[in-house]
This record gives sequence, structure tokens and C-alpha cells, in this order.
Amino acid sequence: MNALQRSGSGSMAQSPRSSTSQAPYLTVSVTDPAKMGNGVQAYISYKVITKTNFPEYQGPEKIVIRRYSDFVWLRDRLFERYKGIFIPPLPEKSTVEKFRFSAEFIEMRRQALDVFVNRIASHHELQQSEDLRTFLLEDEQTMERERSQETGIFKKKPADFMQIFKDVQSRVSDVVLGKEKPVEESNPEYEKQKNYIFQLEDHLAEAQKHAYRLVKRHRELGQSLSDFGKAVKLLGTCEGNSLGKAFSELGAKSELLSIKLQREAHHLLMRFEEPLKDYVRAVQSIKATIAERANAFRHHCELAETIKFKEIDLNKLRLTRSEKLADAEREYEQLKADGKESKRKFETIVKLMNEEIARFQEQKTIDMGVVFHEFAEGQAHLAKSIAEAWRSLLPKLEACSSSLETPDA
Amino acid sequence: MVQSPRSLSSQAPYLTVSVTDPAKMGNGVQAYISYKVITKTNFPEYQGPEKIVIRRYSDFVWLRDRLFENYKGIFIPPLPEKSTVEKFRFSAEFIEMRRQALDVFVNRIASHHELRQSEDLKTFLLEDEQTMERSRSQETGIFKKKPADIMQIFKDVQSKVSDVVLGKEKPVEESNPEYEKQKNYIFQLEDHLAEAQKHAYRLVKRHRELGQSLSDFGKAVKLLGNCEGNSLGKAFSELGAKSEMLSIKLQREAHHLLMNFEEPLKDYVRAVQSIKATIAERANAFRHHCELAETIKFKEIDLNKLRLTRSEKLAEAEREYEQLKADGEELKMKFETIVKLMNEEIARFQEQKTIDMGVAFHELAKGQAQLAKSMAEAWRSLLPKLEACSS
Repeated sequence: MNALQRSGSGSMAQSPRSSTSQAPYLTVSVTDPAKMGNGVQAYISYKVITKTNFPEYQGPEKIVIRRYSDFVWLRDRLFERYKGIFIPPLPEKSTVEKFRFSAEFIEMRRQALDVFVNRIASHHELQQSEDLRTFLLEDEQTMERERSQETGIFKKKPADFMQIFKDVQSRVSDVVLGKEKPVEESNPEYEKQKNYIFQLEDHLAEAQKHAYRLVKRHRELGQSLSDFGKAVKLLGTCEGNSLGKAFSELGAKSELLSIKLQREAHHLLMRFEEPLKDYVRAVQSIKATIAERANAFRHHCELAETIKFKEIDLNKLRLTRSEKLADAEREYEQLKADGKESKRKFETIVKLMNEEIARFQEQKTIDMGVVFHEFAEGQAHLAKSIAEAWRSLLPKLEACSSSLETPDA
Repeated sequence: MVQSPRSLSSQAPYLTVSVTDPAKMGNGVQAYISYKVITKTNFPEYQGPEKIVIRRYSDFVWLRDRLFENYKGIFIPPLPEKSTVEKFRFSAEFIEMRRQALDVFVNRIASHHELRQSEDLKTFLLEDEQTMERSRSQETGIFKKKPADIMQIFKDVQSKVSDVVLGKEKPVEESNPEYEKQKNYIFQLEDHLAEAQKHAYRLVKRHRELGQSLSDFGKAVKLLGNCEGNSLGKAFSELGAKSEMLSIKLQREAHHLLMNFEEPLKDYVRAVQSIKATIAERANAFRHHCELAETIKFKEIDLNKLRLTRSEKLAEAEREYEQLKADGEELKMKFETIVKLMNEEIARFQEQKTIDMGVAFHELAKGQAQLAKSMAEAWRSLLPKLEACSS
């Protein structure tokens, strides 16, 4: 994830611009969420604006209307077609009904969908995808037809999907493929990578959870400070002239700080907690790719086994000069071709994954640096405002207490 | 507590008290806290420069009740509440808050020009524990009433409905606009103080919660740093450490807010409630005085009837009438004393309140400014390292 993409409309130059010909570019904007329909059938639609000079796109700009399930379709198609590549993650479906149309949720989802599409559009392989073109250009009816035909892996029940993850993580039998013993790569380098991914997921999820709690604490402190400010103003009305004025000002400053705290809470949510959550999803997407690699490896091994047995059969048939020999020989050749194909598929996944891991780690270091820098900056800024506000009240309060050493209070 | 400037030739009178060393005594449901009460004085009646006695909460309650009975019109300093939550009763925080409040209570009495002369104060400060216990068990003052009854008295004064405690139908009240203003001021002040104190307590809670969340967050960021490369990993490690450090500062500020801001506010809420008890006493005295005046009028009428009929009962009736008139003078004097004392007390109270509120809110602003400054510095110190990591 490139932090520049967060703005929702950043331009992604793929290569340095030359002065004679324009470099190829493809940028997408997901905007203008609008509520459609009524009751349980209600949903949000988004405007997807594509700006590009790719020749296949036939035009510099195109606007289409898309809904969440269209993005899901795109993700599923890419996952099917580009095994080995880390498909960018999608924001979750909302489980809490009443939250589904809240302004905050809609904005977080819009932001995440915008990042999703732009990551695809800036990935050197994924941006060439036919399905991406369909998604960005076709009218809504065509899109709906495509969607209803989708039967990809993600159409499985979420429970099945989670099971795939668990298999990869716990190394127990692959229930999905109905095997007893797992056939796995014994590759120490790859083991390290997998462990890194699983550990990263835990730590990211933990950090995100506590980041969310920090958001809540800011809101709560802001609310309490606002109530406190109002109470102090009332108290000021019971006091004499100078103390009453000081209380009035203290109350006003409390309310001002309350607003700043609410703003910081929102800022923390959108610019810190959401990016962390986004990376948790990204790591889960990587785990799906790990599962695909395991599948491809197993497929390749099974086929290799089958080929061996076929060889034995073939020799038997040769010795007995059976009529079935010709058929068996054809089948054997077919199997060997399939074997080569599945080996090639597996090796492609391995090669792509290595590139992807490197790319991911590089981008993550940049993004994490930016996100945490923003966090520290926002916090420093907020604390500075708070310090200034309280300090400005000290002279007036000092004037009211005749001595700072009270006899009895 | 020096009441008057020290002269060179003779030492000025002083009386200071210290409530310290809370210790848990007894076991189970009978367990209680005892305090060391150390008196330093040169008052002649006290026979000695220093005296140490052991007292418990109910002894302080006894003292407050006795003073309330004997010094009507004077605002008796308030006591901290009895704890209703059993498990909180022996927590270190509660014990310290109570000790502090009891210390303030006794010293306010010791520095009040009238109350410090009290015999009951002397008993409280000098007698051994057995004598104290005996005095306590004899107490039957107003506060021995069930709390519900006390509240009812307050409500009567506040809502001007019939005085249920004295069983009257229509309230007999002073029609004194100045006094009305004072009473309204007191009731309004109580509401506003209670509201401010409630939200001050919430602020304490919020500080604690934010501190806890920051601590958890710091640990999580440190773990995340393990997954990162060299420079970012180090930056995360430091961010985690700073978060944990700030968490400690937040907990400290929460405690500071509790002891130096929320408790003083709570103390003033109690002080105002004590003033309301004095308001109720004044209403009682006024009503008592009016009823007697009525009774005297009726007695005069009876007396004249008896004179006309030259009854034998005349002599006795004349004696009763004289007694009633003497009682009437007594009650009038008592009521007027209360009025005079209350006026002095209100002025004294408002002056002290302005000082105390100024100090308490100054402490608040100072503590908050300091905390925020530390937080700003901590976060700012991380910026260069984080900047270096994001290309």
C-alpha cells in the first residue's frame, strides 16, 4: 500500500515521464457513496471514475456505478487467475445492521475500496487483467450478469474458507481436499516466511485492537471534559467577580479541548487504526495465497505419484502385450503433460511469491513509518494544544487564591 | 494554625492537630481503622504542649454531633461519609482520603475562634479511649436520627412544605428577603458543586482508562517492532517504551486529580450540606420562638379571664405566664444568636471558599499542563526516528 493512495485521487505514475510521449497511467477514484433501495434490500452504490491512457481502455475517462459485491467479484476473479500474487484486501462485510449506513462506516469503506482498486491498478501484472477492465468499464447490467456467474473460492461458506487458513497454520490434515496426511514443502526458507506472516498477523491484530481502544479513550475523555466544562461554568456563576471569570474561561477552554479531542479521535481512526486494520487484511490475503501455493504443491505431488503408478501399470501391460496398452500409453503421455503443467504452475507461484514478499515488506516499512509518524505527530500536536490551554489559565487562577498555602482545605 | 501575629514577649496561643497513622484493628465485620490524633498546643486548659490519643471514625462523628448541638448557628465542618461499599472500606486509597478529610475536619474546628473553646473538643483531643467510648454511647444528638430523617429536614427547608419532623401543617418561616437570597445561593451552590465534583471524578476515571490503554498499546507496538527491520524496529521499540512511560504519568495525574481536586470539591459539597443543617436549625429556632409567642398570647387572654372571675387559679396562672415570658425571651435570644452567627459564618465561608476553589483549580490546571507538556515532548522526540524510516 502506497500511502499516497490514501487520498483517493492520487495519480500513480508508473514510469518517469518522458518529454516526447506520455507514460502509461491508470488511476481510479471511488467516490460519492449513495444509498439505493429500501429496507433489507438497501445498499450503497459508489461512483468509480477511471482516468487512463492504456490503449485497451478506449478513452481517457470513464465513470461507472459499482456496489460492494462488484468489488468482491473482482477480488475473487483476480485470486483465481493470479495465483502467487498477493491480491489486495477488501474491507469486511458489515455484520452490525444499524452500523451499515452510518456516515463513519460508509467513509471508511469508501476509503478502503479506493485503496483496493488503486493497488490493483498500480500492480504491474494485475493492472493488465481483463476482469479489471470489465470492472472499470462495463455498464451495471453486464456487471450484474458477471457477478451471478461467479463460483470462485470465496463463494465457499466463510467457515470453509477459514478452515483452509487453519490447515495452513496448524499443519493438520487438509480437510478441504479430503486427505489424511499433509503433503508439504520442506523448505526452511519458506517455513521462515510463513512463520513471519503468521506472527505478523497476530502482532498487527493486537496493535490494531489497542489502536481502536485509544480512539475510544479519546472520545470518552473529550466527552467528560465537555461535561466538566459546562459544570465549571455553572459553578462560576456562584462565585465572585474574578474567580467567576476564571471559571467561565476554564469552562470554555475545557469545551474547546473536548472538540480537539474528538477531532483527534477521528483522525486516529481514519489515519492510524484503519491503515493497521488494512494491513491485517493484507496479511490474511497473503495467507490465502499461501494456501493456494500449498494446494498447487499437493496437486503437483499427487500427480507425480499418479504418474509413477501409471508407469508401473504401463510396464505390466507391455509385458502382457495387452490391447489396453495404446490407451494406457496415451493416458500416460497426457498425465506427463499435466504433470509438467502443474509443476510449472507451482514454480510460477513460488517465483511470484518471492517477488511479492519482497515488495510487500518494502511497502509495509514505508507505510508503517508514515502511519506511526502521523500518529506521533497528531498526539504531539494535541498535547501541545492542551498544555497551552491549561497554562493560559494559570495566571488568572493564581490571582484568585490569595496564597498558595491554604490553612485548611 | 496561628490565630494572631506572634509577639516578641509572649507566645501567641496555638492549637494544631494531626490525624495520622491509620491502622486496621480487629477482624471480620467488627474490623475498623484507628487513627493517631496528635495535639500540639499552648492553651492553658490543655495542660501540656503535646498529647497523643487513639481515635476511630465514630469518635469524630460524636464530636461533630456535640458541636452541632451546642453551637447552633455556626457551620460545623463536615465529615467524610461512612463507606457503604464493604470491600472498598480498607483500600489504601479510601483510607488515605478519609485520613486527609478527618485531619482537615479537626483543624477547621481547632482554628475556629468559637469552636476551639469547646469542652467536647478537649474531651476528644485529651481523654483516653475508654472515656471516649463511654461518652460516645451516651450521645443522642440530631445525627443519631436515621439518615432518611435528616434528608427530610433538608427537603423541608428546601421545598417549603410542611415540617413533617415537627408534625406541623403549615410552615412558619421568616420573611426575610436577604435570608431568602442566602438560602437560594446555598442550594444552588450545592447543585453546582455536586455536578462539578461528579464530572471531576469522571475525569479521574478517564485518565486511568487512557493510561491503561496506552500501556497495552505500547506493549503491542513493541511486539510489532519485532517483525520489522532494523531502523523501524528500533523506532517501534522506543515508541512502545514511551507509551508505557506516559501511561505511568497518566496514572499519577489521575491520583493527583483525585486527591488535590476531586476530594476538595467533594469536601465543599459536604460543607454546604452542613450549612443546610444549620439552616434547618435556624428554621427550628424561628418556629419554636413563634409558637411560644402564640402560646403567650393565648395565656394572656386566659389570665384576663381569670382576673375578671377572681379565680383561685389566678396566682398559678400568673406564675406560668411569667415562666412562659422568660422562655420566650430565651428563645428569642437563641434565635437572634443563630442569625448573628450565621451572618458572620456566611461571610467567612465565602472568603475561604474563594481561596480554596482558586487553589484547587490552580492545581488542576497546573497538573494538566504538566502532563500535556510531558506527552508532547515524548511524542515529539519520536518524530525524527519515524521520519527516517518512511522514505
